Amino acid sequence: MNMQSTLNPQVHDPRVLGAGSRAAGIRVEGVNLSYGTTHVLKDVNLTIRPGEFFAFLGPSGCGKTTLLRLIAGFNVAQTGQVLIGDTDVSTLPPWKRDVGMVFQSYALWPHMSVRKNVAFGLEERKIPRAEIEARVDAALELVGLKHLADRKPSQLSGGQQQRVALARTVVIRPRVLLLDEPLSNLDAKLRVQMRRELLELQRELQLTTIFVTHDQEEANTICDRIAVMHDGVIQQVGAPMELYDRPANLFVANFLGTVNIVEGEVKGAGPSSAFVIAGGGGTVPIPAGRDVPGGARLVFRPQNAAIAEPGSAAAAGRTRLNGTVVYREFLGGTIRYGVKLGATEVTIDMPHQAGETVLETGSPAAIDLSAEKALYLAH
Amino acid sequence: MAMFQMAMSSSSARVRPGQIVAVALIAAFLVFFLLIPVASVIVTAFRDKATGAFTLVNFVDFAQTDLFVRSFWNSVYVSSMSVVVASIFALPLAYYTTRFEFRGAAIVQTLGIIPLIMPPFAGAVAMQLLFGRNGTVNLLLDQYFGFKVPFMEGLNGVIFVQSIHYFPFILINLSAALRNIDRSMEESAQNLGSSGLRLFRRIVFPLAMPGYVAGASLVFIKVFDDLATPLLLNVNQMLAPQAYLRITSVGINDPMGYVISVVLIVASLIAMWLSVLAMRGKDYATTQRGGGGLAKREMRPGDAIPAYIMIALILALVLAPHIGLFLMSIATVWSFSPLPDAFTLKHYATVIFDSGQYIWNTVLYASLAAGIDIVIGVAIAYLVLRTKVIGAKWLDYTAMAALAVPGVVLGIGFLRSYYGVILPGGQSLATYWVMIVLALAVRRLPYALRACTAALQQVSQSLEEAAENLGAGKRRTIQRVVVPLMTGGIVAGFVTSFATAAVELSATIMLVQSTSDAPLAYGLYVYMQSPAGRGAGAALGMIAVLIVGICTYLSHHIAEKDRARKAGTST
Amino acid sequence: MKTKLLAAALASTLALSASIAIAQTPTGKLVIVTSFSKEVTDPYKKAFEKANPGVTVEIQNRNTNAAVKYLDETKSNNVTDLMWASAPDAFEALKQRELLEKYKPRVTGIPEKIGDFPINDPEGYFFGFAASGYGIMWNTRYVQANKLPEPKDWQDLAKAPYFNHVAIAAPSRSGTTHLTIETILQGEGWDQGWRINKEIGGNLAQVTERSFGVPDGVNSGQFGYGIVIDFFGFSAQGAGFPVKFVYPSVTTIVPANIGIVKNAPNATLARAFVEFLLSPPGQELLFEPTIRRLPVNPATYAKAPEGMPNPFNFKWTGKGGFKFDTDLSERRLGVVDALYDQTITFQLEPLKKATKAIHDAEAKLAAKPNPAAAALIKEARDLIAKMPVAEQEALSSDIVNAFKGGGGKEKAPRQAQLEQQWAKFAADNYAKALAKAEEAAKALN
Repeated sequence: MNMQSTLNPQVHDPRVLGAGSRAAGIRVEGVNLSYGTTHVLKDVNLTIRPGEFFAFLGPSGCGKTTLLRLIAGFNVAQTGQVLIGDTDVSTLPPWKRDVGMVFQSYALWPHMSVRKNVAFGLEERKIPRAEIEARVDAALELVGLKHLADRKPSQLSGGQQQRVALARTVVIRPRVLLLDEPLSNLDAKLRVQMRRELLELQRELQLTTIFVTHDQEEANTICDRIAVMHDGVIQQVGAPMELYDRPANLFVANFLGTVNIVEGEVKGAGPSSAFVIAGGGGTVPIPAGRDVPGGARLVFRPQNAAIAEPGSAAAAGRTRLNGTVVYREFLGGTIRYGVKLGATEVTIDMPHQAGETVLETGSPAAIDLSAEKALYLAH
Repeated sequence: MAMFQMAMSSSSARVRPGQIVAVALIAAFLVFFLLIPVASVIVTAFRDKATGAFTLVNFVDFAQTDLFVRSFWNSVYVSSMSVVVASIFALPLAYYTTRFEFRGAAIVQTLGIIPLIMPPFAGAVAMQLLFGRNGTVNLLLDQYFGFKVPFMEGLNGVIFVQSIHYFPFILINLSAALRNIDRSMEESAQNLGSSGLRLFRRIVFPLAMPGYVAGASLVFIKVFDDLATPLLLNVNQMLAPQAYLRITSVGINDPMGYVISVVLIVASLIAMWLSVLAMRGKDYATTQRGGGGLAKREMRPGDAIPAYIMIALILALVLAPHIGLFLMSIATVWSFSPLPDAFTLKHYATVIFDSGQYIWNTVLYASLAAGIDIVIGVAIAYLVLRTKVIGAKWLDYTAMAALAVPGVVLGIGFLRSYYGVILPGGQSLATYWVMIVLALAVRRLPYALRACTAALQQVSQSLEEAAENLGAGKRRTIQRVVVPLMTGGIVAGFVTSFATAAVELSATIMLVQSTSDAPLAYGLYVYMQSPAGRGAGAALGMIAVLIVGICTYLSHHIAEKDRARKAGTST
Repeated sequence: MKTKLLAAALASTLALSASIAIAQTPTGKLVIVTSFSKEVTDPYKKAFEKANPGVTVEIQNRNTNAAVKYLDETKSNNVTDLMWASAPDAFEALKQRELLEKYKPRVTGIPEKIGDFPINDPEGYFFGFAASGYGIMWNTRYVQANKLPEPKDWQDLAKAPYFNHVAIAAPSRSGTTHLTIETILQGEGWDQGWRINKEIGGNLAQVTERSFGVPDGVNSGQFGYGIVIDFFGFSAQGAGFPVKFVYPSVTTIVPANIGIVKNAPNATLARAFVEFLLSPPGQELLFEPTIRRLPVNPATYAKAPEGMPNPFNFKWTGKGGFKFDTDLSERRLGVVDALYDQTITFQLEPLKKATKAIHDAEAKLAAKPNPAAAALIKEARDLIAKMPVAEQEALSSDIVNAFKGGGGKEKAPRQAQLEQQWAKFAADNYAKALAKAEEAAKALN
């Protein structure tokens, strides 16, 4: 166990994936899926590009695993279809889809050695013995576990089991790789290492990959694009930064990173319209041309506002709001203030400099909000 | 390895006085009601008949007697073939009802257990009437096709009846094992291109192997030790009947019967040991963290129809004894004809009027015995799995060894050991009705013990630790956390013990001293000794089956609810 | 000191006789161990309880052998009052183990003998209450369907058409069958007797392990013919089964018995039951359709139902005019049973094979006479009939003791050794007989 094995994408051997990429795009069209009276997937439409590293992100019960299993063929939708490449696979059973899936539990078969586990899919495809041997070796080498080929899964650590599961899946040269919360059973340190390795492997093999997770950090760090799901509905699809900066609704804003959502209402119309914070605290002018949905709240990230000396003038382009400090947390590089702003408590992050004065709990706080960066979102 | 040590060094490792008391009590129970009686019987095997001195010459005689050697190999053959045929019955039933969305799975599972409750005598007589050489099937075959099939002749007959009788052991154990296979195990194989029979052969069956082997070894041992079925089919060249014939023959004080008993016990112990050896390190806990739990797959119509037909056929076959029994119970005269001459309900009237006492005794004895079994079963399971008390493992082995003791040997042992003990009031301890309960409890303990052990293995130790952490003592933890979580397994153990104890005859027939203390199996035996009693005997048998069947269904229901409840809290 | 003891002894004797006087009116519980079925015991239980209010009769059903075993195992604290069963030799065995109590019934009108067979134990340890004869029962539907003949005598069952249609209970398991075998051995002589037993043996479909297995199989039509005690046939008819029963010419009438168990807890009641059983009302109960046994009181036959024979009108001793020797039967009981088991029960397959071959050869011989073949067939028959021990040898103390409990000489053969020898002897001879018969058949082709 002292020898920490790692993935070795640099040893990419054409034997693992074969010559030329088989990466295929995926299209999900008009899918509805119910279990009894529970409507689990609601009119899901999605296009995933060939070779893309894609994430389904959402809280548990949002339907992301159901959607993944639908693509793998374990669930059957009532309406709609799934296309891989240009083939409609909706009616194909799982064993004919050529879609590789790594299960959350790894699902390594305890009665088979590591080598047998990895060889399984190739044996099912009736590939000649010699080729199986070569490809299994290459796949195990790829995940750095060739020396453990004869062990039983129960003799491996969690991380090693994860790699075996991965090797077992990629060795069949699937057209699509599905990962169901692959990192959730690993400890925090290993998780960070594994996700980077996963990304390298994906890049090397150029596999269209879908990654299911409830952890926004995981999705943000490795995925090209993310579909945020909630209640069986895809809320928004986009690159991580795009989702963070321009969330389509309150759910997406809230799910990705810390966010302040301020209660209040929009007064006025056209260029003179402004957001009046409920319970006092100030009014924020709404920049011209901004589309404000009905029932919208004021939304801003902690770093989009600054605490200022009460009584000082507001900085340029910023709107002054007044509140009271309810708590202060020292986070090292930043100081996080909780400020009561009207009826809402908001969070403001200030960079920390040595010797700078800090505000005490209970003291009044002036907040300078960048009105340009503020968003107006509804549910 | 590190994980192992962690588990071993947890808080419960310290031996506590209560545990030692529990070990002592259980040990006393096993010594007094299993070891001493058995020893009192088999000692004869090691005695020189003339001088009474210790000798092994009787075993030499055994090895040199063709009849015994032939009987031994016949027993091995019949037991092995019974395992094969029983597997053919059990595999489809277990697989389809556990791994697929199968309409009527609960009914199939319940009906599948009923063959275990084959009332003595009546079951075999019913089988003769259906499959015997002039039974329904053969008479019809002869009439329409001009040939007969010797279903019930010789060793084949024994294999046929025994595999029907005991296949539920495989069904129960295999079903439990199949239910424990996480669906991701199957799905990952499907994902990699496997399906259908190959999927079953390469993934599902190997993973269910521990359950299968447990069931199969049970079938092997029971068939090896069973004497009722071969005797009723008049097959005497097998070991258990040879032992019985010799032990109970009048005027013959022959050590060979006891020698054969020793051989039976040793052979069964070896079979048990081999099955343990074969499964060492293979008890896969396949319900994994983050796993998908149990998945029941939908069957496509193309697969579903043949599956339903196959299962219906198997059920019809395995329930044949009970169908025959039912016909017998409502028949006036049934002789050399495919169906009885006429039907009547008077046998039921006779039985209900006459035999209320038998029914009441049976329910009382079987539930007391099963109650004792689950208490001891839970205790031993807990001591073995959760404590480091010295000797706990030996309690487990000893209790399991009861499986290898033929009922007659235990019955005679009880008489020998306790007849001289006189209760106040002048009755002998050996014939006090409580002894019937104890004999049944000892005989059925292995079933309950295995069920309890399996149930406890599935209760995570962290749940107990959480309770202890919150201030519950050991006793309170067991009472409020462990036992409730084991409910499903305990109920299963209770049912198996109860159902099989309710129709047990071999040990009780030696101990029943008066009709008022006699259980139903004994009443059945009495009825089946006369031409006019056959219908009444069958009616009594049907009532036995009905009682046990209802109990089984109810507890299946409870266990299913319990499972649902647990599944509900875990998500 | 001595006078004191004497006084105490006297006092206790007085107390004892007083208690006996009080116990004159029977009360309490009467425990009967019996091999008889519920159909037999229930009418008696009801009638006796009705005649003696306050008395409960407790019936314990065990097969005869198990009952003897049980009484033996429980003698240290006996709780049984009466032993009630058919086979006289079981009572003989109990008597020898000193498990029975002497008594002299007061009922009158019961003769000393039926035919040559004494009804009661001459020494007064057990008493016959019903007569039984052995015979052949058959299923009429079975016989019609297979176009088989109706037998009249034991020898009929040895004939070719009966092949694979006959059933018998193992004599080691059934006291009544043992008596049938012993009757044939005594009536026909050791050698001829065994010849008949083995020739019938070659036609057996099955050797059952319970007495009742035979009538049960005949009733349900699993076999055609069964060698049974008469009441199995009569009571099956009484229950409506399509069966018939016949007494062969060589048979013996044997009483079914009752005996008082030694140290019976309720001896007074036990005696009262014996008296009741032998009294006219008790005897008449035997005619119940589910019982159908022959009373031992000749006067009772005036009320006999249709079809019940009166054994007192029979000429029981048949052709040999022999007298059944109970002592002989008891002395060689274990030996005869073991011989039967080792040469017939456990060798049934080879015996049947050889028998079938002989039947086939004989059928050919009938069509085409051939002295050489006839000689071969006779040799084959003799090989089958051959016994490993002669009559006198079978009665030698070494052999007899090998089958009795305890004692015995150090160097004497053990039971298992003898059995192995006999089994091998039989198996070898049957194999030779088969070869001879096949040779004869070949010669006849």
